[in-house]
Amino acid sequence: MQATVGLPRSLLYHKYHVLWESFFAALEVQTVTSPQSNRAILARGIELAVDETCVPVKLFLGHVDALRDKADYILVPRIVTLAKDETMCVKFLGAFDVARNSVPGVRLLEYSVDVKNGIHQRPELCRVGETFERNRRKVRRAYDHAAIEHLRYTAELDERQEQALARPGIKVLVVGHAYNLYDEMLGKPIVDFLGKHGVEVVCSEFHDTAKARRLAERVSKDIPWTYNKELLGALESYRERVDGIIFLVTFPCGPDSLMTELCMRRVKGVPSIMLVLDELQSEAGLQTRLESFVDLIEAGKKRALAGGGAR
Amino acid sequence: MSVQLPESRPFKVSFPHMGNYSIPVKTLAEHLECEIVLPPKMTRRTLELGARHSPEFVCIPFKYNLGNYIEALDKGANLLLQAGGGCRFGYYGEVQEAILRDLGYDFGMVRLIGGWKLRDHINDFKQVNPRLTMLRALKAYKLALLQTRALDTVEDYVRRNAGFEVEDGAFEEVHDAFLGELDTARDKRTIAEIEERYLGELAAIPTERPDDLLRIGIVGELYVLMEPFSNLFVEKELAKRGVEVHRFVTVSNMVEHGGRKATAHLDDLIAKSGDYVRYHLGADGTESVSMAYQLMQQGFDGVLHLKPFGCMPEVNAMASLQRLSREHTFPILFISYDAQTSETGLKTRLDAFCDMLRMSKQRPGTAEMADVAESLATEAERSTA
Repeated sequence: MQATVGLPRSLLYHKYHVLWESFFAALEVQTVTSPQSNRAILARGIELAVDETCVPVKLFLGHVDALRDKADYILVPRIVTLAKDETMCVKFLGAFDVARNSVPGVRLLEYSVDVKNGIHQRPELCRVGETFERNRRKVRRAYDHAAIEHLRYTAELDERQEQALARPGIKVLVVGHAYNLYDEMLGKPIVDFLGKHGVEVVCSEFHDTAKARRLAERVSKDIPWTYNKELLGALESYRERVDGIIFLVTFPCGPDSLMTELCMRRVKGVPSIMLVLDELQSEAGLQTRLESFVDLIEAGKKRALAGGGAR
Repeated sequence: MSVQLPESRPFKVSFPHMGNYSIPVKTLAEHLECEIVLPPKMTRRTLELGARHSPEFVCIPFKYNLGNYIEALDKGANLLLQAGGGCRFGYYGEVQEAILRDLGYDFGMVRLIGGWKLRDHINDFKQVNPRLTMLRALKAYKLALLQTRALDTVEDYVRRNAGFEVEDGAFEEVHDAFLGELDTARDKRTIAEIEERYLGELAAIPTERPDDLLRIGIVGELYVLMEPFSNLFVEKELAKRGVEVHRFVTVSNMVEHGGRKATAHLDDLIAKSGDYVRYHLGADGTESVSMAYQLMQQGFDGVLHLKPFGCMPEVNAMASLQRLSREHTFPILFISYDAQTSETGLKTRLDAFCDMLRMSKQRPGTAEMADVAESLATEAERSTA
C-alpha cells in the first residue's frame, strides 16, 4: 500500500505547493491537501494554539488537525534561513515543534532548511522523498523536475501581476504575506470585495529575489526577514503604478508590526491603509473600510483630473 | 552595524536601561571618551511616552527602549546606542530611529547588529572617537565584563536569599550600597574586592529559612527577565512570599554561551529538553523549555514563564511548556507583559500560584498535583485571552 502525504493548506503551502505537489507526484506518492480555511478549521486552531499565537499559525494548527486520519504523514517543513544575512520569522523555526507539541496523534514529516549554515532545500526534501522511494537518483530527478515546475509557477505569478498593472482602471496593491493573501478566510474576502467594486488587485508577488532585495533597501536597510524583503521589493517595484496600497497584517505579527510602521513613515505619495486581521474579524467593519478607501482613491483621481484641466 | 553621527557637537552618548546593567554599559561607553547621559530612572511615564509613539502591537521592550531614548534626548543626549537580539529586537534600531526623526530630534545612532565581532565594533566606534585604540577598547570591554560578572553573582545571591530576611529591606540596603560602589570601580582588583566584601555582608544578614520554602525558577524572554521595572518587580514580589528565586538568563550567561559556542550550547539545551524541543525555536525559546525541564528534574516546586505580549519565540516555547506541564503535572505560571499589565493582577496571580504550590507540598498526593496543574492551565489560557 502506497502511503499518502498530507499538505496543510497554510503557511509555506502558499509558497511551495507546486514544488511539493510535483515532487510527490513524480515519486508516485499520493498527496492530500486540507480543505480551504473555514470556520471549523479556525475554531480548532484557536483551541489547539497558545492564545497569543498569530492568526496564520492558529490556522496552520487547524489545518494540521484537519488532516488527521486523512493522511499517513503530514508535511511540516521548518525554514530557518533562505539566504546569508537574512532570517525567517521565528514561526517557521518553531512550526514543527509547535505542531508536534500542540496537535496530538498525528505523524509529522519534517525537513529543515538553513541556508546560512549550509543546509539546503534540495538534499533535505530529497531525504523526505527517500522515505517513499529507495532509488536516490529517481528522488533527485523528481526534485529537479519539481523545482522547474516551481519556477514556472512563480514566473507565471509575476506575469499575472504585470498584466494586472497594464489594465486600465483603479489599481490597488495589496501588500501581505502569501499565507495571508491567498487564505480563504483572511485575504481572499478582501481581494474578492475589491474585485467586485471594479478595482484591479495587484498582489505583492515579486520573485526576482535579487532585485527585490535591492529595492527593499530603499525602504529599509536592516530588515532581516526574507519574506518581508520580498514584500518591500514588490512595494517598491509596483507602487508608482498603482492608485492605492493596502497593508494586510494579521494580529499580532512581529515582523509586520515593524515593517508597516516604517512603510507608513517612508512611503509617501500614494494613499495607503493598514488592515489588521484577527480571528474575531467582522466582515461589515472590513467592508466599510475598504469601501471608503476605494471612494477616497476615486475622489482623488477625479480631483487630479479636474485640477489638471484647470491648469 | 551602522553608525550615523549627529550634526551637533560634542557627542553625548546614551543607551536604554536594562536592569542594573547600565553600570557595565557605562564603563564600556567610556572608551568613546564623550559625555554619557543616562536616561532617567524608569517610570510609568517612560512607558507612556514609548507606547504613544510605537507601533500598536510591537513587543513591550521596544516601547521601553523608545521611552528611554525620548527621555535621554530631552536630557541632552545626541548619540544613541542600540544593540539587539536574535528576534525582532535586532531590528528595533532602524524603526526607532525613523520614529525619533519624525518627532523632530537631531541625533545620531550606533546600531550594533549583525554579529558580535570585536574588530568591527572597534572600527565603527572609531568614527565616534578617532583616538580610540584597540588596547583601550579591549580594556573597556574587559572591565565591563568583570563588572557584569560581579553584578550577576551578587544579584543571584540576593534572589535566592532575600525572601528569608528577618528584617525587612536588609538585603535591598546592602544591594544598593554594592551598586553604588561597583559603579565607580574601574580596575580588576577593586571589582573583585567589592564583590567579595558584599557577598560577605549579604551572608551575614540574618535569615530564617522555613522547612517548606518554595523554590521557583524564572524562564522566558531576556528583556522582561532582566528589567525589573518591565516585569513589575516580579522577583521582589516572589521574595515577599518567601520564595527562593532562581534565574539563569543573565548577561554573564549570554556572554558565556554566545559567539562561537552558541550552536553547541543550543544543541546541549535541546539534548536536555526531554524531547520537548527537537529544533531551535528562535531567540530564548529553546532555553526556556530546556531550563524548565531541567528545573523539574532538579525538584523545583514550579516555574514562572515571562514574556512580552506576542513574543513569538516564547509563544513557540509555550506549546512545549504547556505539554510538559500537563504530562508531568509540573506547575508553570505563564505571564505576558504589555503596556496595560497591572500590578494588582500580577500580585493576585502570584498569591494564588504560591498558595497552590504550598498546598500541594503539604499534601503531596498526585490528585492534588493534577488539580494544581489543571487549574493553572485553565488560568493560563484565560489570562492571555
